[in-house]
Amino acid sequence: MTGGRKNGEWAVTAPTFVWLTLLFVIPTFLVFTIVFKPSDPYGGIGSGWTLRTLFSLGNPNYPAILWRTAWLSALTTALCLALAVPTGYCMARTDRRFRNTLLLLVIIPFMTSFLVRIFAWKVLLHPEGLIKRGLVLLGLAHSDTSLLYTPGAVLLVMVYTSLPFAILPVFAAAEKFDFHLIEAARDLGATHAGAFFRVFIPGISRALFTSVLVVLIPCLGSYVIPDVVGGPNSEMLGNKIAQRTFSDRNLPHASGLSAILTLAVLIPMVWVVLSQRKRETGGGGSILKDIV
Amino acid sequence: MADFLEIEDVSRHFRNIRAVDHVSLTVRKGEFYSLLGPSGCGKTTLLRMLAGFERPDTGRIRLDGRDITDLPPHKRTVNTIFQNYALLPHLTVRQNIAFGLQVQKKMPRKEIDEAVDRMLSLVQLESQADKKPGLLSGGQKQRVAVGRALILQPQVLLLDEPLAALDLKLRQKMLMELDLIHDQVGITFIYVTHDQGEAMSLSDRIAVMNNGRIEQVGKPAEIYEAPRSSFVAAFIGDTNFFEGQVLELVGDEYSRLNISGFADLVCFNDKKISAGNPVFLSIRPEKFHIGRNRPELSPKHNIVRGRVEDIIYLGGMTKYWVQAEGHKISITRQHSRFFLDEEPIRWNDDVWVWWHADDGFMLERYSEADENLVSLPPDASGTAETAQ
Amino acid sequence: MKRSRFPMAVTASVLVFFYLPIAVLVVNSFNASVYGGRWEGFSLRWYAKLAGQREILHALENTLLIAVSATLVSCALGTLAAFALHRYRSALQRWHFTLIYTPLVVPEILMGMSLLLTFVAAGVRLGLFTIFLAHVTFCISYVAMVVLARLQDFDFSVIEAAQDLGANAWVTARRVLAPMLAPGIASGALLALTLSIDDFVISFFVAGPGSTTLPIRIYSMIKFGSPAMLNALSTLLLVVTFTLVWTSQHLITKGEQAK
Repeated sequence: MTGGRKNGEWAVTAPTFVWLTLLFVIPTFLVFTIVFKPSDPYGGIGSGWTLRTLFSLGNPNYPAILWRTAWLSALTTALCLALAVPTGYCMARTDRRFRNTLLLLVIIPFMTSFLVRIFAWKVLLHPEGLIKRGLVLLGLAHSDTSLLYTPGAVLLVMVYTSLPFAILPVFAAAEKFDFHLIEAARDLGATHAGAFFRVFIPGISRALFTSVLVVLIPCLGSYVIPDVVGGPNSEMLGNKIAQRTFSDRNLPHASGLSAILTLAVLIPMVWVVLSQRKRETGGGGSILKDIV
Repeated sequence: MADFLEIEDVSRHFRNIRAVDHVSLTVRKGEFYSLLGPSGCGKTTLLRMLAGFERPDTGRIRLDGRDITDLPPHKRTVNTIFQNYALLPHLTVRQNIAFGLQVQKKMPRKEIDEAVDRMLSLVQLESQADKKPGLLSGGQKQRVAVGRALILQPQVLLLDEPLAALDLKLRQKMLMELDLIHDQVGITFIYVTHDQGEAMSLSDRIAVMNNGRIEQVGKPAEIYEAPRSSFVAAFIGDTNFFEGQVLELVGDEYSRLNISGFADLVCFNDKKISAGNPVFLSIRPEKFHIGRNRPELSPKHNIVRGRVEDIIYLGGMTKYWVQAEGHKISITRQHSRFFLDEEPIRWNDDVWVWWHADDGFMLERYSEADENLVSLPPDASGTAETAQ
Repeated sequence: MKRSRFPMAVTASVLVFFYLPIAVLVVNSFNASVYGGRWEGFSLRWYAKLAGQREILHALENTLLIAVSATLVSCALGTLAAFALHRYRSALQRWHFTLIYTPLVVPEILMGMSLLLTFVAAGVRLGLFTIFLAHVTFCISYVAMVVLARLQDFDFSVIEAAQDLGANAWVTARRVLAPMLAPGIASGALLALTLSIDDFVISFFVAGPGSTTLPIRIYSMIKFGSPAMLNALSTLLLVVTFTLVWTSQHLITKGEQAK
């Protein structure tokens, strides 16, 4: 009986296990291996082993790019949370009929084509675009100031594309939150803000971790946004990876940068996993459950 | 009547836990048979083995002379009412009831429709026939579950705590309905419950289970009035335990007991426990009498003196806890004319407590842990004081 | 109790923030002006011009081919995986869960890069097939998580009930499991479809000559093409998105009613 059960378990587990091992686990480890391979002139991977790529990662431009990647991502995450918490709170407190409409309004941008959303901002921020003309008209900007191709534009669009990811987990948690607790806190003498920060925020802390994770990690790997609305002074790590892959055709070098990015992503992940483990077990499965 | 369902030396282990431990039972045809015990006693595992969801590690199960131990659930003429009803949420009430007949292709479609109509009227759900289970009340869901199982005319109907999900009022109503249905269809019912009240009121016979074993099998009155172990005594109803020793036998049926602090007591001794043996005397709270004045008593009575420690008024009755010679005695008293009583008994009053020798019983098996099942006065609850 | 107005104000601003760029884009798609800075009258010329673009149609064909095939395969694999994760509680399943969960939190660029390296190292020719493989890889995790979430609400005693009423394994799968899991699998499929149609970064890395998908096409239009035509194309995509979101919400509500 137990033997049959084991076989049954393998039969339903093996397909994904094998697929993801071949196309996810091995590729991820490959990133760390290819760094030690020479490139070949046709954009492929040469034979033999070399440490040259590893040394070339000491490029003096890289620290600045790494630093910009880190602070842009961190700031995006902070802004997203600052907007997501009041929005999720407000959505959960509106009455049921209107709440579903609000939810739909948040889901639609979430499901809308990523490229279309970036393009929409490129149009708005364009020198001939609505925002620029509005600002000039109000005398807030000079006609020579460029809104596009700046770190500010990158930040704005990153917040725009990430915000739904931050709102949905917060909303899901806020919807389950027992708002009588806030009334109880007010009854015990807490102010609006006091009740909010000392009762509501701890109550949804799990969702906040989720939001940080789903915003911060994709931001660290941003490539399209700085590529479309950023300029030379707003390049991020993702741009460099793409550049080495597509322009320089130097896969080992791109692979080295990817390895750095992988390590950079691991830091917030490990942090979240450890702080979650301290709280309760139950797996991060909720993260996706919250979103979908 | 011949044994209809025979469970012979059946065991089921999960890892190191013996969920069901060498259980043997026989159930007669048409009987309403209850498996009663606390959660985790193995009653549900036993039921699942009857249904075919679990395979016993040892032993055989025979139904009407046929060995069904290895038969898969869909080939057994046994049906189950699940605790949460397990109605198919995507089907209507009518489709749920028709499901079994349809998948077994027992009869042509037209006959199925007729059978379903008859069943809908038996369980009084004609008006709900086209609703999905999600829209039904708890009692209605329960009736769908009953109808869905009965339409297959099973030889045995298994009921797994079918009333647990209902509130008290509805539970009482469904209790009567189940009893009525049992009388109407004449199918053997095996009823799993942890609620002694349900088991007592419905069953022809009850098997009390604990730790995977059968403690006692008997009619409800037998189990209540003559429990064989401290577990049965404490789990079915409430009781007081007194530890002592048999001094001598008095006549054929009685014996004298020595219980520390009390003068010698008389007790009914149907089990013929001989002199010198240690015993536990168990007396149910309602068997005691309590009063301020010492009454005139026959020699078949015992009487002790004590002081009232706690009183809880419960409407229909009052509970007293009396401290007597180092024993804490729990007493309940029905009052038919509360306000007309002479001066009522109050906290800290000195009282007399007496009982008839026939109202106590001596236990063959005793486990200290069973003391925890006995209800204690509010201030002492949780500390579970043991009788000395 | 009186409530603070602040969260409501933030929510309103967020919604404006969400929809302002989209609205401008939709309006501009009907604007006769090339650069869309000024309103020069209503026009459908960009839509007409769009219809004449053979490359876009071809890219759409590629996208749909990949999306449908990747959805089918990832749905089968993801549902199986969700079932395994739900049914068994073993060390193997803890690894299995980690394996399925991790791709969700890996930045797309890393997945694209690592797959590119793998395909190059293994000598697989880049093209539609490699895009298909990549899409299945990231869709599995989403499908598995959606179906798993549904399974957690699923009352498994109905399966025993069906067996108890005489249904064998096949009948139980067909008449009980399939209809009850269908909404979950459908919303997983819808998500996979959307993700596959929308994916740019991973596709871009593993695409080869002649395997341009719609997002890759859109990307090159953003970088080098006419914004006006792209406005029109984006508007069409928005319509598709609205329809998909509406349909999936409808499925969810239907699923909840069935409970």
